[in-house]
Amino acid sequence: MNTTIYLDYAATTPVDPRVAQRMIECLLPSGEHGNPSSAGHAFGRRARALVEKARAQVAASIGARPENIVWTSGATESDNLAILGVARFHADRGRHIVSSRTEHKAVLDALKQLEREGFEVTYLKPDSQGIVHPQQVSEALRSDTQLVSLMHVNNETGVIHDIAAVGQLCRERGVLFHVDAAQSVGKLPIDVQAQCVDLLSVTAHKAYGPKGIGALYVRRQPPIGLRPILHGGGQESGLRSGTLATHQIVGMGAAFELAAAERESDCARLRVLRDRLWQGLAAIGNVELNGHPEQRVSNVLNASFHGVEGESLQFALRELAVSAGSACSSASEEASYVLRALGRSDQLAQSSLRFSLGRFTTDAEIDIAIDAVGREVRRLRQLGNAS
Amino acid sequence: MSFEVSSEVDYSPTVIEHFERPRNVGHFDPAPDVIVATAGRRDQGVQFHLSAQVAGSVIRAVRFEVYGCPHCIAAGSWLSQRLVGATLDELRSWSWREAADALQMPAEKRGRLLILEDAVRALAEAWGRLA
Repeated sequence: MNTTIYLDYAATTPVDPRVAQRMIECLLPSGEHGNPSSAGHAFGRRARALVEKARAQVAASIGARPENIVWTSGATESDNLAILGVARFHADRGRHIVSSRTEHKAVLDALKQLEREGFEVTYLKPDSQGIVHPQQVSEALRSDTQLVSLMHVNNETGVIHDIAAVGQLCRERGVLFHVDAAQSVGKLPIDVQAQCVDLLSVTAHKAYGPKGIGALYVRRQPPIGLRPILHGGGQESGLRSGTLATHQIVGMGAAFELAAAERESDCARLRVLRDRLWQGLAAIGNVELNGHPEQRVSNVLNASFHGVEGESLQFALRELAVSAGSACSSASEEASYVLRALGRSDQLAQSSLRFSLGRFTTDAEIDIAIDAVGREVRRLRQLGNAS
Repeated sequence: MSFEVSSEVDYSPTVIEHFERPRNVGHFDPAPDVIVATAGRRDQGVQFHLSAQVAGSVIRAVRFEVYGCPHCIAAGSWLSQRLVGATLDELRSWSWREAADALQMPAEKRGRLLILEDAVRALAEAWGRLA
Protein backbone atom coordinates (compact mmCIF):
# COMPACT_ATOMS: atom_id res chain seq x y z
CA MET A 1 0.00 0.00 0.00
CA ASN A 2 1.20 3.49 -0.73
CA THR A 3 -0.25 6.97 -0.79
CA THR A 4 -1.06 8.26 -4.22
CA ILE A 5 -2.08 11.83 -4.90
CA TYR A 6 -5.11 11.99 -7.14
CA LEU A 7 -4.66 14.47 -9.99
CA ASP A 8 -6.88 12.77 -12.53
CA TYR A 9 -10.20 14.55 -12.00
CA ALA A 10 -10.73 14.86 -15.75
CA ALA A 11 -10.87 11.06 -15.89
CA THR A 12 -13.37 10.85 -13.09
CA THR A 13 -14.14 12.51 -9.78
CA PRO A 14 -14.95 10.97 -6.42
CA VAL A 15 -18.56 11.36 -5.37
CA ASP A 16 -18.99 14.40 -3.15
CA PRO A 17 -19.97 13.15 0.35
CA ARG A 18 -23.01 15.43 0.24
CA VAL A 19 -24.09 13.68 -2.96
CA ALA A 20 -23.34 10.21 -1.65
CA GLN A 21 -25.56 10.82 1.36
CA ARG A 22 -28.51 11.65 -0.89
CA MET A 23 -27.90 8.52 -2.93
CA ILE A 24 -27.69 6.20 0.06
CA GLU A 25 -31.06 7.40 1.23
CA CYS A 26 -32.58 5.99 -1.97
CA LEU A 27 -31.08 2.55 -1.59
CA LEU A 28 -32.21 1.50 1.87
CA PRO A 29 -35.51 -0.20 2.74
CA SER A 30 -36.44 2.93 4.64
CA GLY A 31 -35.69 5.11 1.61
CA GLU A 32 -37.17 5.76 -1.82
CA HIS A 33 -36.24 2.45 -3.43
CA GLY A 34 -39.37 2.03 -5.51
CA ASN A 35 -39.46 1.81 -9.30
CA PRO A 36 -40.21 5.32 -10.58
CA SER A 37 -42.43 3.75 -13.25
CA SER A 38 -44.63 2.07 -10.62
CA ALA A 39 -47.24 4.80 -10.47
CA GLY A 40 -49.74 2.49 -8.74
CA HIS A 41 -48.20 2.74 -5.26
CA ALA A 42 -46.57 5.28 -2.98
CA PHE A 43 -43.04 3.81 -3.25
CA GLY A 44 -43.06 4.31 -6.99
CA ARG A 45 -44.62 7.75 -6.83
CA ARG A 46 -42.10 8.98 -4.25
CA ALA A 47 -39.21 7.66 -6.36
CA ARG A 48 -40.73 9.35 -9.41
CA ALA A 49 -40.84 12.65 -7.52
CA LEU A 50 -37.13 12.36 -6.73
CA VAL A 51 -36.33 11.55 -10.37
CA GLU A 52 -38.27 14.59 -11.54
CA LYS A 53 -36.60 16.81 -8.96
CA ALA A 54 -33.21 15.65 -10.22
CA ARG A 55 -34.34 16.23 -13.80
CA ALA A 56 -35.15 19.81 -12.89
CA GLN A 57 -31.78 20.22 -11.15
CA VAL A 58 -29.85 18.99 -14.20
CA ALA A 59 -32.00 21.09 -16.54
CA ALA A 60 -31.48 24.21 -14.47
CA SER A 61 -27.72 23.77 -14.52
CA ILE A 62 -27.63 24.00 -18.33
CA GLY A 63 -30.41 26.51 -18.95
CA ALA A 64 -32.91 23.91 -20.09
CA ARG A 65 -36.42 22.83 -19.14
CA PRO A 66 -36.92 19.49 -17.34
CA GLU A 67 -38.72 17.93 -20.30
CA ASN A 68 -35.54 18.40 -22.37
CA ILE A 69 -33.57 15.95 -20.21
CA VAL A 70 -33.26 12.25 -21.17
CA TRP A 71 -31.50 10.02 -18.64
CA THR A 72 -28.76 7.77 -20.04
CA SER A 73 -25.94 5.64 -18.64
CA GLY A 74 -23.35 8.35 -19.22
CA ALA A 75 -21.78 10.61 -21.83
CA THR A 76 -20.88 7.71 -24.13
CA GLU A 77 -24.50 6.67 -24.43
CA SER A 78 -25.62 10.29 -24.72
CA ASP A 79 -23.15 10.88 -27.57
CA ASN A 80 -24.28 7.71 -29.32
CA LEU A 81 -27.98 8.51 -28.91
CA ALA A 82 -27.47 12.04 -30.20
CA ILE A 83 -25.27 11.21 -33.18
CA LEU A 84 -26.72 7.88 -34.28
CA GLY A 85 -30.24 8.95 -33.36
CA VAL A 86 -30.24 12.14 -35.40
CA ALA A 87 -28.30 10.76 -38.35
CA ARG A 88 -30.48 7.68 -38.76
CA PHE A 89 -33.72 9.58 -38.28
CA HIS A 90 -32.78 12.21 -40.88
CA ALA A 91 -30.83 9.97 -43.24
CA ASP A 92 -33.04 10.91 -46.17
CA ARG A 93 -32.36 14.61 -45.58
CA GLY A 94 -28.58 14.45 -45.85
CA ARG A 95 -25.69 12.18 -45.03
CA HIS A 96 -22.94 14.62 -44.15
CA ILE A 97 -21.71 15.34 -40.61
CA VAL A 98 -19.06 17.79 -39.38
CA SER A 99 -16.95 17.06 -36.31
CA SER A 100 -13.32 17.36 -35.20
CA ARG A 101 -10.27 15.12 -34.90
CA THR A 102 -9.96 15.73 -31.18
CA GLU A 103 -13.39 14.54 -30.09
CA HIS A 104 -13.75 11.86 -27.44
CA LYS A 105 -13.78 8.27 -28.71
CA ALA A 106 -17.46 8.08 -27.83
CA VAL A 107 -18.10 10.59 -30.62
CA LEU A 108 -15.44 9.39 -33.04
CA ASP A 109 -16.48 5.75 -32.84
CA ALA A 110 -20.16 6.63 -33.27
CA LEU A 111 -19.18 8.62 -36.37
CA LYS A 112 -17.15 5.68 -37.67
CA GLN A 113 -20.24 3.52 -37.33
CA LEU A 114 -22.17 6.05 -39.40
CA GLU A 115 -19.44 5.99 -42.05
CA ARG A 116 -19.98 2.24 -42.28
CA GLU A 117 -23.67 3.00 -42.83
CA GLY A 118 -22.88 5.29 -45.77
CA PHE A 119 -22.54 8.68 -44.08
CA GLU A 120 -19.71 11.06 -44.83
CA VAL A 121 -17.91 12.83 -41.98
CA THR A 122 -15.62 15.87 -42.15
CA TYR A 123 -13.13 15.84 -39.27
CA LEU A 124 -11.84 19.37 -38.66
CA LYS A 125 -8.20 19.75 -37.65
CA PRO A 126 -7.54 21.97 -34.63
CA ASP A 127 -4.84 24.64 -34.69
CA SER A 128 -1.56 24.04 -32.87
CA GLN A 129 -3.19 25.12 -29.61
CA GLY A 130 -6.00 22.62 -29.94
CA ILE A 131 -8.81 24.97 -30.99
CA VAL A 132 -11.31 24.26 -33.77
CA HIS A 133 -12.56 27.67 -34.95
CA PRO A 134 -16.17 28.51 -35.86
CA GLN A 135 -14.96 29.69 -39.28
CA GLN A 136 -13.69 26.15 -39.99
CA VAL A 137 -17.11 24.76 -39.15
CA SER A 138 -18.78 27.33 -41.36
CA GLU A 139 -16.56 26.46 -44.31
CA ALA A 140 -17.18 22.73 -43.84
CA LEU A 141 -20.98 22.96 -43.96
CA ARG A 142 -22.62 21.66 -47.15
CA SER A 143 -26.16 21.53 -48.44
CA ASP A 144 -26.41 17.92 -47.26
CA THR A 145 -24.91 18.51 -43.78
CA GLN A 146 -27.41 17.46 -41.15
CA LEU A 147 -25.34 17.56 -37.96
CA VAL A 148 -22.32 19.26 -36.38
CA SER A 149 -20.83 17.58 -33.30
CA LEU A 150 -18.20 19.51 -31.37
CA MET A 151 -17.02 19.08 -27.80
CA HIS A 152 -17.24 22.03 -25.41
CA VAL A 153 -14.01 21.25 -23.55
CA ASN A 154 -11.35 18.85 -24.73
CA ASN A 155 -10.71 16.08 -22.24
CA GLU A 156 -6.95 15.92 -22.77
CA THR A 157 -5.92 19.56 -23.06
CA GLY A 158 -8.86 21.33 -21.43
CA VAL A 159 -9.18 23.82 -24.30
CA ILE A 160 -12.57 25.47 -24.74
CA HIS A 161 -14.48 25.68 -28.01
CA ASP A 162 -16.68 28.66 -28.78
CA ILE A 163 -19.88 26.64 -28.90
CA ALA A 164 -22.09 29.74 -28.87
CA ALA A 165 -20.57 30.92 -32.15
CA VAL A 166 -20.81 27.46 -33.70
CA GLY A 167 -24.37 27.10 -32.43
CA GLN A 168 -25.34 30.42 -33.94
CA LEU A 169 -24.00 29.58 -37.38
CA CYS A 170 -25.56 26.10 -37.30
CA ARG A 171 -28.92 27.63 -36.40
CA GLU A 172 -28.60 30.10 -39.29
CA ARG A 173 -27.76 27.30 -41.71
CA GLY A 174 -30.46 24.94 -40.48
CA VAL A 175 -28.01 22.31 -39.25
CA LEU A 176 -28.45 20.45 -35.96
CA PHE A 177 -25.73 21.03 -33.34
CA HIS A 178 -24.59 18.45 -30.78
CA VAL A 179 -22.15 19.29 -27.98
CA ASP A 180 -20.28 16.80 -25.82
CA ALA A 181 -20.12 18.75 -22.56
CA ALA A 182 -18.82 15.94 -20.36
CA GLN A 183 -15.82 18.03 -19.27
CA SER A 184 -17.47 21.42 -18.89
CA VAL A 185 -20.14 20.96 -16.20
CA GLY A 186 -18.96 22.77 -13.09
CA LYS A 187 -16.15 24.44 -15.02
CA LEU A 188 -17.99 26.69 -17.48
CA PRO A 189 -21.45 28.24 -17.66
CA ILE A 190 -23.73 26.32 -20.01
CA ASP A 191 -26.90 27.79 -21.46
CA VAL A 192 -28.28 25.64 -24.24
CA GLN A 193 -30.81 28.32 -25.23
CA ALA A 194 -28.34 31.17 -25.50
CA GLN A 195 -25.68 28.94 -27.07
CA CYS A 196 -28.11 27.55 -29.69
CA VAL A 197 -27.36 23.94 -28.78
CA ASP A 198 -29.80 21.27 -30.01
CA LEU A 199 -28.32 18.24 -28.24
CA LEU A 200 -25.91 18.23 -25.30
CA SER A 201 -24.26 15.25 -23.60
CA VAL A 202 -23.42 15.34 -19.91
CA THR A 203 -22.32 12.81 -17.33
CA ALA A 204 -22.39 12.75 -13.54
CA HIS A 205 -19.02 11.25 -12.74
CA LYS A 206 -16.96 14.18 -14.01
CA ALA A 207 -18.80 16.49 -11.62
CA TYR A 208 -18.63 14.66 -8.28
CA GLY A 209 -21.64 12.49 -9.04
CA PRO A 210 -21.77 8.72 -9.50
CA LYS A 211 -20.53 6.71 -12.47
CA GLY A 212 -23.11 5.04 -14.68
CA ILE A 213 -25.54 7.92 -15.09
CA GLY A 214 -25.68 10.70 -17.63
CA ALA A 215 -28.15 12.71 -19.62
CA LEU A 216 -28.82 14.01 -23.08
CA TYR A 217 -30.40 17.41 -23.51
CA VAL A 218 -32.76 17.27 -26.47
CA ARG A 219 -34.28 20.45 -27.86
CA ARG A 220 -38.08 20.10 -28.02
CA GLN A 221 -39.18 23.37 -29.65
CA PRO A 222 -39.26 22.72 -32.51
CA PRO A 223 -38.81 18.97 -31.96
CA ILE A 224 -35.76 17.09 -33.17
CA GLY A 225 -36.27 13.75 -34.86
CA LEU A 226 -34.28 11.23 -32.86
CA ARG A 227 -34.27 7.46 -33.34
CA PRO A 228 -33.65 5.56 -30.06
CA ILE A 229 -30.81 3.06 -29.83
CA LEU A 230 -32.30 1.10 -26.92
CA HIS A 231 -35.73 -0.50 -27.14
CA GLY A 232 -37.86 -1.79 -24.29
CA GLY A 233 -40.21 -0.31 -21.74
CA GLY A 234 -40.57 3.04 -23.47
CA GLN A 235 -39.21 5.13 -20.61
CA GLU A 236 -38.01 8.67 -21.28
CA SER A 237 -40.66 9.28 -23.94
CA GLY A 238 -39.48 6.23 -25.79
CA LEU A 239 -36.00 7.68 -26.33
CA ARG A 240 -34.27 5.57 -23.71
CA SER A 241 -35.91 2.43 -22.41
CA GLY A 242 -34.80 0.89 -19.14
CA THR A 243 -35.72 1.14 -15.46
CA LEU A 244 -34.65 4.50 -14.11
CA ALA A 245 -31.80 4.21 -11.59
CA THR A 246 -33.26 6.39 -8.86
CA HIS A 247 -30.19 6.60 -6.63
CA GLN A 248 -27.87 7.50 -9.51
CA ILE A 249 -30.30 10.03 -10.92
CA VAL A 250 -30.70 11.63 -7.50
CA GLY A 251 -26.90 11.71 -7.23
CA MET A 252 -26.56 13.38 -10.61
CA GLY A 253 -29.17 15.98 -9.76
CA ALA A 254 -27.51 16.83 -6.45
CA ALA A 255 -24.05 16.90 -8.04
CA PHE A 256 -25.13 19.23 -10.84
CA GLU A 257 -26.88 21.56 -8.41
CA LEU A 258 -23.67 21.77 -6.36
CA ALA A 259 -21.59 22.17 -9.51
CA ALA A 260 -23.62 25.19 -10.57
CA ALA A 261 -23.67 26.72 -7.08
CA GLU A 262 -19.95 26.24 -6.41
CA ARG A 263 -18.57 26.65 -9.93
CA GLU A 264 -17.12 30.12 -9.53
CA SER A 265 -15.45 29.52 -6.17
CA ASP A 266 -14.16 26.06 -7.23
CA CYS A 267 -12.73 27.42 -10.47
CA ALA A 268 -11.08 30.45 -8.87
CA ARG A 269 -9.33 28.23 -6.32
CA LEU A 270 -8.26 25.63 -8.88
CA ARG A 271 -6.94 28.23 -11.32
CA VAL A 272 -4.51 29.46 -8.66
CA LEU A 273 -3.37 25.90 -7.92
CA ARG A 274 -3.12 24.98 -11.61
CA ASP A 275 -1.07 28.09 -12.41
CA ARG A 276 1.26 27.40 -9.50
CA LEU A 277 1.70 23.84 -10.75
CA TRP A 278 2.58 25.15 -14.20
CA GLN A 279 5.12 27.61 -12.81
CA GLY A 280 6.75 24.75 -10.94
CA LEU A 281 6.84 22.47 -13.99
CA ALA A 282 8.02 25.18 -16.38
CA ALA A 283 10.94 25.90 -14.03
CA ILE A 284 12.28 22.39 -14.75
CA GLY A 285 13.10 23.55 -18.28
CA ASN A 286 12.29 22.05 -21.70
CA VAL A 287 8.66 21.58 -20.73
CA GLU A 288 5.95 22.53 -23.20
CA LEU A 289 2.33 23.38 -22.46
CA ASN A 290 -0.20 21.55 -24.63
CA GLY A 291 -3.28 23.52 -25.55
CA HIS A 292 -4.21 27.17 -25.57
CA PRO A 293 -2.68 28.97 -22.54
CA GLU A 294 -5.81 30.99 -21.75
CA GLN A 295 -8.75 29.44 -23.59
CA ARG A 296 -8.96 26.37 -21.36
CA VAL A 297 -10.70 25.27 -18.20
CA SER A 298 -9.18 26.13 -14.84
CA ASN A 299 -8.35 22.63 -13.63
CA VAL A 300 -6.46 20.96 -16.51
CA LEU A 301 -2.75 21.17 -17.31
CA ASN A 302 -1.25 19.07 -20.08
CA ALA A 303 2.51 19.29 -20.52
CA SER A 304 5.18 17.58 -22.63
CA PHE A 305 8.58 16.83 -21.13
CA HIS A 306 11.41 16.86 -23.67
CA GLY A 307 14.18 14.31 -23.27
CA VAL A 308 12.19 11.91 -21.10
CA GLU A 309 10.66 8.65 -22.28
CA GLY A 310 6.94 8.53 -21.58
CA GLU A 311 6.53 5.19 -19.87
CA SER A 312 9.48 5.78 -17.56
CA LEU A 313 8.11 9.20 -16.68
CA GLN A 314 4.74 7.75 -15.84
CA PHE A 315 6.20 4.92 -13.78
CA ALA A 316 8.65 7.20 -11.99
CA LEU A 317 5.72 9.38 -10.99
CA ARG A 318 3.45 6.60 -9.82
CA GLU A 319 2.96 8.44 -6.54
CA LEU A 320 0.85 10.81 -8.66
CA ALA A 321 -2.37 9.57 -10.26
CA VAL A 322 -2.17 11.43 -13.58
CA SER A 323 -2.96 10.52 -17.18
CA ALA A 324 -0.22 9.96 -19.72
CA GLY A 325 -0.08 10.75 -23.42
CA SER A 326 0.07 7.08 -24.21
CA ALA A 327 -1.02 3.73 -22.95
CA CYS A 328 2.53 2.50 -23.17
CA SER A 329 2.67 0.24 -20.16
CA SER A 330 -0.28 -1.76 -21.41
CA ALA A 331 1.76 -2.63 -24.53
CA SER A 332 -0.30 -0.34 -26.74
CA GLU A 333 2.18 2.33 -27.71
CA GLU A 334 -0.16 4.48 -29.71
CA ALA A 335 0.45 8.11 -28.83
CA SER A 336 -2.44 10.39 -27.95
CA TYR A 337 -4.37 11.23 -31.13
CA VAL A 338 -5.36 14.55 -29.58
CA LEU A 339 -1.76 15.66 -29.05
CA ARG A 340 -0.77 14.39 -32.49
CA ALA A 341 -3.59 16.47 -33.97
CA LEU A 342 -1.96 19.49 -32.32
CA GLY A 343 1.21 18.66 -34.24
CA ARG A 344 3.15 16.96 -31.46
CA SER A 345 5.46 14.11 -32.52
CA ASP A 346 4.61 10.61 -31.34
CA GLN A 347 7.62 10.71 -29.04
CA LEU A 348 6.67 14.02 -27.45
CA ALA A 349 3.02 13.03 -27.14
CA GLN A 350 4.13 9.93 -25.25
CA SER A 351 6.22 12.11 -22.94
CA SER A 352 3.18 14.14 -21.94
CA LEU A 353 1.18 14.14 -18.74
CA ARG A 354 -2.26 15.50 -18.02
CA PHE A 355 -2.68 16.87 -14.51
CA SER A 356 -6.32 17.55 -13.66
CA LEU A 357 -7.17 19.11 -10.34
CA GLY A 358 -10.43 19.02 -8.47
CA ARG A 359 -12.55 19.97 -5.51
CA PHE A 360 -10.44 17.99 -3.05
CA THR A 361 -6.98 18.96 -4.33
CA THR A 362 -4.89 20.72 -1.71
CA ASP A 363 -2.00 23.20 -1.77
CA ALA A 364 0.23 20.57 -0.18
CA GLU A 365 -0.54 18.06 -2.94
CA ILE A 366 0.51 20.58 -5.58
CA ASP A 367 3.79 21.15 -3.72
CA ILE A 368 4.42 17.40 -3.62
CA ALA A 369 3.60 17.07 -7.32
CA ILE A 370 5.98 19.88 -8.32
CA ASP A 371 8.80 18.34 -6.27
CA ALA A 372 8.18 14.83 -7.61
CA VAL A 373 8.01 15.83 -11.25
CA GLY A 374 11.13 17.98 -11.02
CA ARG A 375 13.09 15.27 -9.24
CA GLU A 376 12.12 12.47 -11.62
CA VAL A 377 12.41 14.42 -14.86
CA ARG A 378 15.94 15.50 -13.90
CA ARG A 379 16.85 11.95 -12.88
CA LEU A 380 15.56 10.41 -16.10
CA ARG A 381 17.24 13.05 -18.23
CA GLN A 382 20.52 12.35 -16.45
CA LEU A 383 20.11 8.62 -17.10
CA GLY A 384 19.86 9.27 -20.80
CA ASN A 385 22.43 12.02 -20.88
CA ALA A 386 24.67 10.84 -23.71
CA SER A 387 22.50 8.21 -25.29
CA MET B 1 -6.96 14.64 -0.93
CA SER B 2 -4.99 11.40 -1.04
CA PHE B 3 -6.22 7.89 -1.49
CA GLU B 4 -4.74 4.65 -0.27
CA VAL B 5 -4.30 2.39 -3.27
CA SER B 6 -2.52 -0.86 -3.87
CA SER B 7 0.39 -0.71 -6.28
CA GLU B 8 -0.36 -2.82 -9.32
CA VAL B 9 2.39 -2.66 -11.87
CA ASP B 10 3.65 -4.81 -14.70
CA TYR B 11 7.26 -4.67 -13.59
CA SER B 12 9.16 -7.42 -11.79
CA PRO B 13 10.82 -6.63 -8.45
CA THR B 14 14.21 -6.80 -10.20
CA VAL B 15 13.13 -4.23 -12.78
CA ILE B 16 11.78 -1.93 -10.09
CA GLU B 17 14.97 -2.28 -8.04
CA HIS B 18 17.22 -1.35 -10.99
CA PHE B 19 14.85 1.43 -12.13
CA GLU B 20 14.85 2.99 -8.69
CA ARG B 21 18.56 2.51 -8.05
CA PRO B 22 20.33 2.12 -11.37
CA ARG B 23 23.95 1.01 -11.08
CA ASN B 24 26.87 2.44 -13.02
CA VAL B 25 25.07 5.30 -14.74
CA GLY B 26 27.23 7.51 -16.91
CA HIS B 27 30.12 7.01 -19.28
CA PHE B 28 33.91 6.79 -19.29
CA ASP B 29 35.84 9.57 -20.93
CA PRO B 30 37.79 8.51 -24.02
CA ALA B 31 40.97 6.65 -23.12
CA PRO B 32 43.12 3.91 -24.68
CA ASP B 33 41.46 1.23 -22.55
CA VAL B 34 37.88 2.49 -23.06
CA ILE B 35 35.47 1.10 -25.64
CA VAL B 36 32.06 2.57 -26.46
CA ALA B 37 28.96 1.54 -28.37
CA THR B 38 25.54 2.98 -29.12
CA ALA B 39 22.41 1.28 -30.46
CA GLY B 40 18.84 2.39 -31.08
CA ARG B 41 17.29 5.79 -31.72
CA ARG B 42 15.58 8.19 -29.37
CA ASP B 43 12.90 8.99 -31.92
CA GLN B 44 12.06 5.30 -31.93
CA GLY B 45 11.83 5.22 -28.16
CA VAL B 46 14.98 3.27 -27.17
CA GLN B 47 18.65 4.14 -27.18
CA PHE B 48 21.47 2.49 -25.26
CA HIS B 49 24.95 3.90 -24.82
CA LEU B 50 27.56 1.60 -23.29
CA SER B 51 31.13 2.33 -22.37
CA ALA B 52 33.59 -0.08 -20.78
CA GLN B 53 37.11 -0.18 -19.44
CA VAL B 54 39.03 -3.25 -20.52
CA ALA B 55 41.89 -4.76 -18.55
CA GLY B 56 43.75 -7.39 -20.54
CA SER B 57 41.32 -10.08 -21.62
CA VAL B 58 38.38 -9.02 -19.47
CA ILE B 59 36.10 -6.06 -18.90
CA ARG B 60 36.94 -4.19 -15.72
CA ALA B 61 33.99 -1.82 -15.46
CA VAL B 62 30.92 -0.74 -17.42
CA ARG B 63 28.92 2.48 -17.53
CA PHE B 64 25.59 2.90 -19.28
CA GLU B 65 23.17 5.60 -20.35
CA VAL B 66 19.72 4.86 -21.69
CA TYR B 67 16.68 6.59 -23.09
CA GLY B 68 13.81 4.17 -22.77
CA CYS B 69 11.11 2.51 -20.72
CA PRO B 70 11.65 1.17 -17.18
CA HIS B 71 12.55 -2.26 -18.58
CA CYS B 72 15.28 -0.69 -20.71
CA ILE B 73 16.69 1.28 -17.80
CA ALA B 74 16.70 -1.87 -15.67
CA ALA B 75 18.29 -3.88 -18.48
CA GLY B 76 21.09 -1.34 -18.88
CA SER B 77 21.75 -1.29 -15.17
CA TRP B 78 21.65 -5.08 -14.88
CA LEU B 79 23.97 -5.46 -17.86
CA SER B 80 26.49 -3.00 -16.42
CA GLN B 81 27.06 -5.46 -13.58
CA ARG B 82 26.74 -8.61 -15.65
CA LEU B 83 29.50 -7.68 -18.10
CA VAL B 84 32.19 -7.08 -15.48
CA GLY B 85 34.77 -9.83 -15.95
CA ALA B 86 33.43 -10.85 -19.35
CA THR B 87 35.80 -11.83 -22.16
CA LEU B 88 35.60 -10.76 -25.78
CA ASP B 89 34.17 -14.15 -26.76
CA GLU B 90 31.49 -13.88 -24.07
CA LEU B 91 30.56 -10.46 -25.35
CA ARG B 92 30.30 -11.72 -28.92
CA SER B 93 27.99 -14.58 -27.91
CA TRP B 94 25.86 -12.67 -25.40
CA SER B 95 22.14 -13.07 -26.01
CA TRP B 96 19.24 -10.84 -25.05
CA ARG B 97 17.51 -13.90 -23.57
CA GLU B 98 19.75 -13.79 -20.51
CA ALA B 99 18.52 -10.28 -19.63
CA ALA B 100 14.92 -11.21 -20.45
CA ASP B 101 15.05 -14.11 -18.01
CA ALA B 102 16.88 -12.22 -15.29
CA LEU B 103 14.47 -9.29 -15.41
CA GLN B 104 11.32 -11.35 -16.14
CA MET B 105 10.54 -9.16 -19.11
CA PRO B 106 7.03 -9.44 -20.59
CA ALA B 107 6.91 -10.80 -24.14
CA GLU B 108 5.89 -7.48 -25.69
CA LYS B 109 8.99 -5.79 -24.30
CA ARG B 110 11.55 -8.37 -25.39
CA GLY B 111 12.07 -6.75 -28.77
CA ARG B 112 13.69 -3.82 -27.02
CA LEU B 113 16.36 -6.15 -25.65
CA LEU B 114 17.44 -6.89 -29.21
CA ILE B 115 18.61 -3.29 -29.31
CA LEU B 116 20.61 -3.91 -26.15
CA GLU B 117 22.08 -6.99 -27.82
CA ASP B 118 23.04 -4.79 -30.78
CA ALA B 119 24.84 -2.46 -28.35
CA VAL B 120 26.73 -5.38 -26.77
CA ARG B 121 27.74 -6.69 -30.21
CA ALA B 122 28.91 -3.20 -31.19
CA LEU B 123 30.92 -3.06 -27.95
CA ALA B 124 32.54 -6.38 -28.88
CA GLU B 125 33.45 -4.99 -32.30
CA ALA B 126 34.98 -1.92 -30.69
CA TRP B 127 36.99 -4.21 -28.41
CA GLY B 128 38.08 -6.25 -31.40
CA ARG B 129 39.37 -3.12 -33.08
CA LEU B 130 41.16 -2.15 -29.85
CA ALA B 131 42.85 -5.51 -29.74
